[in-house]
Amino acid sequence: MAVCTVHTTQSLNPTCSISKPSSFFGHSPRQLVVLASPGGNSSTIPKRKGGVLKVTCSSGDTIVIGLAADSGCGKSTFMRRLTSVFGGAAEPPKGGNPDSNTLISDTTTVICLDDYHSLDRTGRKEKGVTALDPRANDFDLMYEQVKAIKEGKAVDKPIYNHVTGLLDPPELIKPPKILVIEGLHPMFDPRVRELLDFSIYLDISNEVKFAWKIQRDMAERGHSLESIKASIEARKPDFDAYIDPQKQYADAVIEVLPTQLIPDDNEGKVLRVRLIMKEGVQYFKPVYLFDEGSTISWVPCGRKLTCSYPGIKFAYSPDSYFGHEVSVLEMDGQFDRLDELIYVESHLSNISTKFYGEITQQMLKHSDFPGSNNGTGLFQTIVGLKIRDLFEQITEAKAGASLQAAKA
Amino acid sequence: MSSIAPSAALAFPSRGGRRRDASLIPCAVVKYKGTQMRVQRLSEMIEKKVIEAQEVCAGSGADSHECRVAWDEVEEVSQAKADLRLKLEVENRDPLESFCRENPDTDECRVYDD
Repeated sequence: MAVCTVHTTQSLNPTCSISKPSSFFGHSPRQLVVLASPGGNSSTIPKRKGGVLKVTCSSGDTIVIGLAADSGCGKSTFMRRLTSVFGGAAEPPKGGNPDSNTLISDTTTVICLDDYHSLDRTGRKEKGVTALDPRANDFDLMYEQVKAIKEGKAVDKPIYNHVTGLLDPPELIKPPKILVIEGLHPMFDPRVRELLDFSIYLDISNEVKFAWKIQRDMAERGHSLESIKASIEARKPDFDAYIDPQKQYADAVIEVLPTQLIPDDNEGKVLRVRLIMKEGVQYFKPVYLFDEGSTISWVPCGRKLTCSYPGIKFAYSPDSYFGHEVSVLEMDGQFDRLDELIYVESHLSNISTKFYGEITQQMLKHSDFPGSNNGTGLFQTIVGLKIRDLFEQITEAKAGASLQAAKA
Repeated sequence: MSSIAPSAALAFPSRGGRRRDASLIPCAVVKYKGTQMRVQRLSEMIEKKVIEAQEVCAGSGADSHECRVAWDEVEEVSQAKADLRLKLEVENRDPLESFCRENPDTDECRVYDD
């Protein structure tokens, strides 16, 4: 998407560099052909012999999204849904370090914040700190590099290898349209927080975390219910001290809890998911049900829609979260059929879809992903659409500002 | 979308409906030695680090720094193994595919024979 407009050479944005076009691996260059005329009317394109310059304008139109999650990087499901909303599939950089944590699509680059570990596995063992501890992470470098990418400069980012536990040689990251920084500490450092255009915190309750880790690990040789429990317990103090407090800064929190529809359910299969959306965030209008700002309780299953057990229940209300005004949309239960999904979608407002049924289409596209039949998939998809909307608004605002500057 | 009957059941995965054996990765997908090595290495590390953590915590106490670090390591390798498994299951091809196309002569890119 072209943000740069036609300028005279004097007003050309100083961070644009003039270069010969070359092929960049895994990433299409964003280039704009600019016909520059000294002192000419900027709205006409003058004839000029040999006056075609190729200007690479990655002049700070990157938006940065922070995603806090305690589940490793390449949080594939959320990332896949997000990049899918923008179109294209996110893949590891081709031909580089096979243990890279980075994902790149046409529009989006996803960076794993573990790459900013200042201590590798051995180093952490020596110092007696977990990966959750800020002392194991280089926030200066994180800030420096995210800032640089945001300003349109490529950076050599370190790679933390999760297999070997070592820090590998860096990989080149070119500024994308959308940069997602994902990991344990995207909102920990205030300077990095300032760079985020939007931030999300994935808040998994202890019971659900335990159920998910059981599903993840029970079949591994070496693991047992006790070891899984012990691992969660041992990480809890650092998690509570360093990771959990970040949620007060998030623009959107996706809270995952056990269902209230099935008494004494401990399998963690049916989920109650809450999308907590901060009010007053620029370019972000919270999703609502029926009547913005009111309190709604909605069971869509009834005469028009038949659902199977345990059904679906929605709630929407204004609330307060760490002193901020928020709107909370909540879904408990599971989707079973296509018509349930479309029915629900048709009753939600401010969902930033481009056409009727877009949410349903996105959910169907990834029906093999975990969470596709419940609130996690639904809200992740909605957040993806919100981010797309945010991106388009910011881009439009910047283009408007450039035009103003050019006219001045 | 109009070609799908509205009441069609959606084929959503049953999350944890049946316990899958995490050590069995679809063989058709593990093509290169490097991937098989990573799968094996991570499995072994999980086993080893769980035992280590249990020993360290028994010795230094459940609240000690050493104990927390030990279980954090278990978490790290467990997640890494799960990520690799997910990659293989969802993408249905060897993650080393593009790397091995550029570097076919490395040890990692030898075709894995079961």
